[in-house]
Amino acid sequence: MNRSPVFEVFRYAAILIALAITLVPILWMVSMAFKPVAEWQATGAALTWVPRTPTLDNFRFLFGQSGSDLIVALDRTAGKPILSSLLSASVGTLIAMSAGTAAAYGLSRFGSGANLPLALIQLRLFPPMAVMIPVMIMWAFLGLMDTWWGLALIYGIVTLPFAFWLMKTFFDDMPKEIEEAALVEGCSRWRVFTRVTLPMMAAPLAAAALFVFILNWSDYLIALLLTTREWVTIPVYMASLSSSMTGQLYGAKAALGLIAAVPPVILGVMIQKHLVRGLTFGALKQ
Amino acid sequence: MSAIRLENLVKRFGGFTALKTMDLSIADGEFMALLGPSGCGKSTTMNMIAGMERPSEGRILFGDRDMSGVPMGRRGVGFVFQNYAIFTHMTVRRNLDYGLRMTGRPAAEVAKRTAAMADLLGLTDLLDRPAAGLSVNILQRLAIGRSAVMEPAIFLLDEPLSNVDAAFRAVMRTELKSLQRQFRQTMVYVTHDQLEAMTMADRIAVMDHGVLQQVGTPLQVYNDPANIFVARFIGAPGMNLLPGRLAETDRGLAVDLGPLGLTPPLPAPLAAAARGGKAEVTYGFRPEEVHLDPEGAALHLPLLLTERIGARNILHLGETGDAVRAVFPAGATLPAGGTVRFAPAEASVRLFDTASGRAIRGV
Amino acid sequence: MTMADRIPAPAAQPRADAPETARLGFRLTLPAQILVLFISVFPLLMQLYISLTDWSPLAGVSWPHAWEYWNSFANYTDILGDGRLWSALWRTALVIMVCVPVEFLLGLALATLFVDDFPGKRVAYSVLIMPMMVVPAVAGYMFFMLFQSGGPVNDILSWFTPEPVTLAWLSDPTLALVAVMAADIWQWTPLMFLILLAGLVGVPDDQLKAAALLGASPWARFRTIVIPRMKTIIVIALSIRVIEAFKIFDTLYIMTGGGPGVATETISVYIYKITTQDLIWGYVAAIALFILIALSVAAVWAMKRMAK
Repeated sequence: MNRSPVFEVFRYAAILIALAITLVPILWMVSMAFKPVAEWQATGAALTWVPRTPTLDNFRFLFGQSGSDLIVALDRTAGKPILSSLLSASVGTLIAMSAGTAAAYGLSRFGSGANLPLALIQLRLFPPMAVMIPVMIMWAFLGLMDTWWGLALIYGIVTLPFAFWLMKTFFDDMPKEIEEAALVEGCSRWRVFTRVTLPMMAAPLAAAALFVFILNWSDYLIALLLTTREWVTIPVYMASLSSSMTGQLYGAKAALGLIAAVPPVILGVMIQKHLVRGLTFGALKQ
Repeated sequence: MSAIRLENLVKRFGGFTALKTMDLSIADGEFMALLGPSGCGKSTTMNMIAGMERPSEGRILFGDRDMSGVPMGRRGVGFVFQNYAIFTHMTVRRNLDYGLRMTGRPAAEVAKRTAAMADLLGLTDLLDRPAAGLSVNILQRLAIGRSAVMEPAIFLLDEPLSNVDAAFRAVMRTELKSLQRQFRQTMVYVTHDQLEAMTMADRIAVMDHGVLQQVGTPLQVYNDPANIFVARFIGAPGMNLLPGRLAETDRGLAVDLGPLGLTPPLPAPLAAAARGGKAEVTYGFRPEEVHLDPEGAALHLPLLLTERIGARNILHLGETGDAVRAVFPAGATLPAGGTVRFAPAEASVRLFDTASGRAIRGV
Repeated sequence: MTMADRIPAPAAQPRADAPETARLGFRLTLPAQILVLFISVFPLLMQLYISLTDWSPLAGVSWPHAWEYWNSFANYTDILGDGRLWSALWRTALVIMVCVPVEFLLGLALATLFVDDFPGKRVAYSVLIMPMMVVPAVAGYMFFMLFQSGGPVNDILSWFTPEPVTLAWLSDPTLALVAVMAADIWQWTPLMFLILLAGLVGVPDDQLKAAALLGASPWARFRTIVIPRMKTIIVIALSIRVIEAFKIFDTLYIMTGGGPGVATETISVYIYKITTQDLIWGYVAAIALFILIALSVAAVWAMKRMAK
């Protein structure tokens, strides 16, 4: 369609406003992460969007090398929470992707597990809070409380629906001819799955895995309930950072928030092609 | 005022020139076909007439009115898309009366005109059915009716029959042509199928690579092609075109076709026009105008195979079977094999300048 | 891009090697089935059990002994009289009723701007979808910082007023709710934008052109062609967003902790608090089941309506 110049101006103006609104909160946090303590609470005329004296102190503080003005002692550095997030999110993704991909293939090609689609959607329907008490009790019973592998297990279960639905639509879209050709040549179905199908699916698998990873990494509530000290993840740790002496540790928390937020944003932009499919359980493709 | 005039029309898309300086006049009430292979610029031309694209240079006039700057909703053209673009989420009725409703016609008028058009096209029984899932034949009528009900002076059709089964195409061609006679609109019809253009159009504009090759009646472009492209494109199979050199013989100017031999002498007007000009010429003649085993000078080629398709037989001559084709009616006596001696009917010989492709016309 | 019919029904073809495939299919789906069972059957039964008791982890006995605190349906009747619960539900409904339509309209408006190509489209698109990928807890903190009384939001508002704005967003019951809604809208409008753009792009361009040629204005084309053809996608987008908005927790809790007081306490926050602070787990189980049942009924009703 030919667009009039008036429309073009309007379009760019609207998009610029949207971009500004999108970036302001993020930029503020980035800015705060590099601000020294003195600038944390600056208000009114002193409020700056770019730090007057940018510093890496906040990051150093998080990792135990205390900077200048922070006289607070942390009971731990950010290292372990980062490790906890990494481990629980990765292994959780592994669990969800393994069970989900296998089941998706089983349903797509053999029609097994017809109950799974509905059952898995229902899993996402209900507020997590409504099922956390039994989970807490079970996890305590199994000795999984406050462990990264306990978290990984629940993450794997909770994101299983996404892994399943994503892979199912990918399998459904994949033409069967190639597998049939391999079958005709005498491969067993299992070999077809592992030697033919999965390698062909490398890209969708990667995209689905990244999508699930983002979800696992972003969790707060479940980690809040299932970890207490040892294996808190980044969001939980970030929320707990506070000091009665210096009030809210804006800069340090902003720095930690940055560390937590950057990986999913980058990964998300990388897999943006598949986001619609993942978020609508395959009902829509981009 | 429904005559159309294209003046110096140029269309560029970035660095690519889709249409190079096109001049064309279409008379009021005429059925003009824009014919050419994919990418020749015919759809681009039509999109500009409709207002969907803006010309890079030049202008378009409807009658005396310059259409530059007139948006596509206000040009008063009907447009039938290749896939009909029926509003499949609406009923037949809502499709038919869409234009009338969108231009704010009073309800009574809308109902009356819709009913009349539906009646004309045989769609009355289907009015309240969903438009989705109907047969292609009905969809074509609906697509035409939807535009026709607005009583446009100009009708544009973009390859509407290309998605139709070959079997149906003949039927629908006739329907389209009779509808045009009935509505008496100026119709511009884009197609890559020369048979369609030949059977339906009053005049044909042959295009290739953004350049208008020739404009004329079907008979004109068939009998008197302006260049090699038109000669080859029109007709199935197209004109036989054999490159060679002019050669004076004791019986007059002829063309030396190398291994095929020497052609019979050229008819006098052609010889007069060709003599003294470039020596590299292309010798052309229609496959239907071939005489076998003539007296006098003849060309010879081996017969590769004979296609027998019901009412016609096509002889494929030459090493690879595509140097010369000759078409004969079903009952004719045909050689079984070996080398065939043949010559074209003198009246059907055409001559083209090999380098430029342009026809050399007799004086 | 098309709307694929993703009704959960398998397409099984009987094959010559049926027994082998059935076995393999069973084995492939087994891990998922086990995980699903693990998370649904036992929790459900356990919650059913303790919801009929007065049990709390403070009681000194482990949960299998909860029967010692049996109170049959007292918890359920307590739900009816629990003002704080119903306020929380109402607040959640309010958040949904404000945020989801705003996210939808803004997302749709943005999507219409992205249908054509224009220079910088890729970059703009990548930036605009970032908010929904920010860790919700971190987004909560971002907005906590933004809405401080000496913070950037007031600073920006002060550009437009003669005197500096010093609204105490997070200390005022109404403003806190507005702030929370602003955070939600910021984070999830991109989701609507993403989905609705995918839908918009699927509207056949030919039909839009045909409509324009028949004299339809851009608004008329939007009304008669675009929106009707996007009906299913719109329903999907709204459903997803409503379901997620109902569960809202991370961002909100970090921003306000449910406060000031209970001003921003949504249902998840309320349940969290009585689970971790009051520890009345029997009652919480009853609430959980109540919600489970209510949502299941709503889901079934919604599916019936959509099937029509």
